[in-house]
Amino acid sequence: MSSKAVIGLSWEPKIPGLTQPSSTFTAVASTSGCKNVISIPESSGLWRPNSELVDGLFLAPNDPKKLNKLLKKQVRDTAGSSWFNMPAPTITLELKKDLQMIKLRDVIDPKRHYKKSESKALPKYFQVGTVVESPTDFYNRLRRKERKTTFADELLSDFSGKNYWKRKVREIEEQNRPASNEKWKIKGKMSMKRAKQRRH
Amino acid sequence: MRPPLRGRGGGGRGRGDGGARGRGRGGGGSAMRGRGGGRGGRGGGRGRGGGRGGMKGGSKLVIEPHRHEGIFIAKGKEDALVTKNMVPGEAVYNEKRISVQNEDGTKVEYRVWNPFRSKLAAAVLGGVDNIWIVPGARVLYLGAASGTTVSHVSDVVGPTGVVYAVEFSHRSGRDLVNMAKKRTNIIPIIEDARHPAKYRMLVGMVDVIFSDVAQPDQARILALNASYFLKAGGHFVISIKANCIDSTVPAETVFAQEVKKLQAEQFRPSEQVTLEPFERDHACVVGGYRMPKKQKAAS
Repeated sequence: MSSKAVIGLSWEPKIPGLTQPSSTFTAVASTSGCKNVISIPESSGLWRPNSELVDGLFLAPNDPKKLNKLLKKQVRDTAGSSWFNMPAPTITLELKKDLQMIKLRDVIDPKRHYKKSESKALPKYFQVGTVVESPTDFYNRLRRKERKTTFADELLSDFSGKNYWKRKVREIEEQNRPASNEKWKIKGKMSMKRAKQRRH
Repeated sequence: MRPPLRGRGGGGRGRGDGGARGRGRGGGGSAMRGRGGGRGGRGGGRGRGGGRGGMKGGSKLVIEPHRHEGIFIAKGKEDALVTKNMVPGEAVYNEKRISVQNEDGTKVEYRVWNPFRSKLAAAVLGGVDNIWIVPGARVLYLGAASGTTVSHVSDVVGPTGVVYAVEFSHRSGRDLVNMAKKRTNIIPIIEDARHPAKYRMLVGMVDVIFSDVAQPDQARILALNASYFLKAGGHFVISIKANCIDSTVPAETVFAQEVKKLQAEQFRPSEQVTLEPFERDHACVVGGYRMPKKQKAAS
């Protein structure tokens, strides 16, 4: 009695699975008597025998249309073969900062001029690379301490533009400050506002 | 004298290439011009900028696809045109390389494409609409010189494409052959491009012909090669140096004359760009060959 399945009917007929092709099908009646273990070649990437699934978390659909849709979703997003399948990386906070920084790089250095970029959106397909140092430009390289993990860090570690940035930020803040009460202020002792006091 | 195994040994060899250049132009016997002397381009990164440049070893860049297929842009403090290196870990002419580690741990490498050394890169930066050299294309490259641009073309067409690189000068052809040893999609041909019959057994039908022979009869050379190898509906890219054809008339007139010559040879030029900031009095003409007639509107 203990060998019988806990769930299911003891008198359930042994029916082979619905999807398996007959050639690769080897049904092994388990001791429970109501389950079939079906071996299917490994090549079918998505389909797993029920025994390997974790508590029915995932069940591959039988409908080939749905299956194709699912397979398409699983393929990694790339820029296509025209650009040698450049992948679309997962955007992290640092990556996003880097991309924004590159978009706005024309304000970083007043003496550098860049071509306008075509779109305002951040690129979808990109890779972050490091320049390989060659022995020929030994004197024009970044030392170990100067190397940073992101483009933004690299920019911030370069102090040459710091005064310019500070001045620019101050200027912009000045512009954006709400209108002050300039006209109420008493400008000096001899101003018109003091006239009344002077008379008394 | 056996050539050294590596593409460019040192300064001495670089100078040697320069000699070839002088000979090629003066003699007139060779249809190829041995352009691209040792390191004519920029005089080594240090000369300019003096350390201000953004492309220092170890700096970070973001690489994005370019509008043209198979080409990428590296964006950082400076922009650079790059191609994906077919042979990771190797630079062909001491150009800068950019290595990328993907999320899944695979490593990819890109090589910087210098527009001052390559007419094709200059044309791309000049905003040419279509260069027709795409991944998987078969390209016939006339005037390959030492193979600096050819290596980038081989990067662009990738492992599924083929580049037939024709060069007449033995001296720069040696560098070309050494470079082609490592890149399996290049077939180096040390022959005169004026006689395509000599190498007709090596070259199959091609999709694109790129011609960089600065010779007075370069239109004829291109037409001859196209008649042998270029498929109907294929395309050509030709770089014209005005001084090499006629130095007595203004450059624009020379370009117009050359375009006329091309039109007489079943070419249909579609656009012309000047390579101005990078080369003086050069133009790049792109077009089709034996294009199918346009369909007339239904009568």
